[in-house]
Amino acid sequence: MSADITGANPAADPVGVTRAEHFATVGQQRHAATLGMWAWLLTELLLFAGLFLTALILRLLHPEAVQAAAGHLKFWIGATNTVVLLCSSLTMSAAIELSRLGWQRMMVGCLLATASLGALFLMLKGYEYYADYEEHMMPFLARRPYALAEQPATRLFVNLYYVATALHALHLFTGIAILLGITWKASRPGFLQRHQNWIEVYGLYWHFIDLIWIIAFPVLYVVNR
Amino acid sequence: MSSAGTLHGDAAARDPHTPLPTLDRPDDYLHAQSTLRSWFLTTDHKRIALLYLASITAFFVIGAVAAGFVRLALVVPDGAIMTNDTYNKAFTIHGVVMVWFFLIPSIPATFGNFLIPLMIGAKDLAFPKLNLTSWYIFMTGALFTLVAVVLGGVDTGWTFYAPLSTAFSNTWVLPALIGVTIVGFSSILTGLNFVVTIHTMRAPGMTWFRLPIFVWTHYATSLIFLLATPVITLALILLIAERAFHVGVFDPAYGGDPVLFQHLFWFYSHPAVYIMVLPGMGVISEIVPAFAQKKLFGYRFVAYAAIGLASVTFFVWGHHMFVNGQSDLASLAFSALSFAVAVPSAVKVYNWTATIHKGSLRLDTPMLYAMGYIGLFVLGGLTGLYLATLAINQHIHATYFVVAHFHYIMVGGTVLAFLGGLHFWWPKITGRMYSEPWGRISALFIFIGFNVTFFPQFILGYLGMPRRYATYPPEFQLLNVLSSAGSTILAAGYLFPMVYLVYSLWFGRRASANPWDAKGLEWETASPPPPHNFAGVPQVPKVPYDYPIQAPETGSHHT
Repeated sequence: MSADITGANPAADPVGVTRAEHFATVGQQRHAATLGMWAWLLTELLLFAGLFLTALILRLLHPEAVQAAAGHLKFWIGATNTVVLLCSSLTMSAAIELSRLGWQRMMVGCLLATASLGALFLMLKGYEYYADYEEHMMPFLARRPYALAEQPATRLFVNLYYVATALHALHLFTGIAILLGITWKASRPGFLQRHQNWIEVYGLYWHFIDLIWIIAFPVLYVVNR
Repeated sequence: MSSAGTLHGDAAARDPHTPLPTLDRPDDYLHAQSTLRSWFLTTDHKRIALLYLASITAFFVIGAVAAGFVRLALVVPDGAIMTNDTYNKAFTIHGVVMVWFFLIPSIPATFGNFLIPLMIGAKDLAFPKLNLTSWYIFMTGALFTLVAVVLGGVDTGWTFYAPLSTAFSNTWVLPALIGVTIVGFSSILTGLNFVVTIHTMRAPGMTWFRLPIFVWTHYATSLIFLLATPVITLALILLIAERAFHVGVFDPAYGGDPVLFQHLFWFYSHPAVYIMVLPGMGVISEIVPAFAQKKLFGYRFVAYAAIGLASVTFFVWGHHMFVNGQSDLASLAFSALSFAVAVPSAVKVYNWTATIHKGSLRLDTPMLYAMGYIGLFVLGGLTGLYLATLAINQHIHATYFVVAHFHYIMVGGTVLAFLGGLHFWWPKITGRMYSEPWGRISALFIFIGFNVTFFPQFILGYLGMPRRYATYPPEFQLLNVLSSAGSTILAAGYLFPMVYLVYSLWFGRRASANPWDAKGLEWETASPPPPHNFAGVPQVPKVPYDYPIQAPETGSHHT
């Protein structure tokens, strides 16, 4: 990643992408980066699809138990988190639009807002886990009594809820870390002349994390409530 | 094959008495830089391919030694050589290492990495740093699994079926599972890199139907990497959670279902068979036209067959569960769909055969491997139809018939294609020619050794010997001893190339840019290629496989 801006006049062309050596054209490089992220998202979608499939099978096998277990989930925290993530997607979209316009300072502000909303989600999720712990709703903890112990099949669903939300939280945590790294780089002068497409490509990933939650929330919290 | 060849740069003109390194240090990718750092932090797809080649060769040796122990134990029927526990660990190490750390990465990570940019006329893969990252991810996963082996081994078999792996096994299952999970990401990222590269990095004029079949099969393989691997990742995550935290999803005591793991597992692991087989088909599709000097018969059908296999393979996983209480209707559907796999497979075999027909054949080492591949793949494929037949499956399910069947595909197919490809592209990769007589001898050893090892297992399985047992009824001893004896011939066949190929690195004749008179962009550049593959933008020929003899042999010239 050489930092030279080959022949680009900052005043005339505030937004662009520096071509890496192995690409023939900038267009090719942009196409490759975008396609690469879509391919990654396809993979991630199948990862979560397996999880949602398992949740669906549990509902078919044990409808009453799943309903009883789902009733213990903190619907309003989940709903608030859905709104938080939707707002973060909005700020992410704004950052992408601003990056295209070359408005770097405002873009960085939007990226920071996005990361903050992501962090807010994780804090709410952490509080939710804490409340679950207090209510003895952590059946995977072998030494802690479980609130619905008389219905063994509820364990399955509640544990799966933890696997699914933890996997999503892990994605979000990684996403925030990468986002902060990008924001740090994006705050330097000349970033948008060299790597504008980073913002667009990363935006796809952020929206995807949002999308997974939008599927996870109804599958876990809402159906048959 | 001209012996003079093209030496590097002006090397041909130099004074032969001047030591080579001082005067004209070659500027190819192998010699451009020589520090350790330039290898372990390289982003050159060709060097990364060699990193993979070295690692998977090491894993192949580990897996092969474990197989040797398994065959040794089975020389006697009463388990006198190895205890049940040791035997279980030996076949688990063999399976885990061979499947996850050799067969799946084998051809894609080495030849795919090396050749795809060369074949499409690109300077590198689309994401060179990601490519290096995948190798490090691969090695990290391998480290976990090796730790499991060193600490005392795993006894679940490579399939990690619940509830044995989650509740009953007292061995080092967790590190092995974590290792296999991590390795999956390496596959995913390699597949992602290939898909993007093939879509976006083709040289001007390199249309989809001018791509070599090798690239087509790797495209199909990469789609499986992207679509199937995440499902096994999830299944393994659930398995890890089950073993570590008793989540219960696969535990009937809590209302879970162990067969659900088998569904998730085979949804990946059946397509994984095609991860292993398709790249080999690509290799054979390159070797056969080159050594018949004839255009590939039915190019488009061979390309479509690769995509066809990659599609149908997602809908056949249930044929691994015919005797596990799956509904009859589901079994019937899975059986029919499994039969459908035979169609694109046969298309490929017929097209290779038709390419050989009336070609100008040279039976050099790569072609011997290719011919061996075609024969063994047919046997492995046809016995797959036996197994897909519901009534026969009841009889031979989980017997040595299955073991023999998939070894005909995995070893007779993938390993032979891997070795054929290694010999075919060795001059391109290293710039050196290996000993042709030794090449042919070891190809013969491997073919004979393989058949002596595995053909008896078809009979053993048909007679009812189950797989995964350390002991067996004494009447099966003769065939088992025969199989073990065959494995020693096979081992010799594997050892020879390790010696003469390494020897050729220093003492082999220098290879010309195109020692086989083969077509394809990789033969247009020097051997070994320069760091960025081509001197200029390569000229893409109008037709792929533009060999002197046409196929079909009409004599007419068609465009």
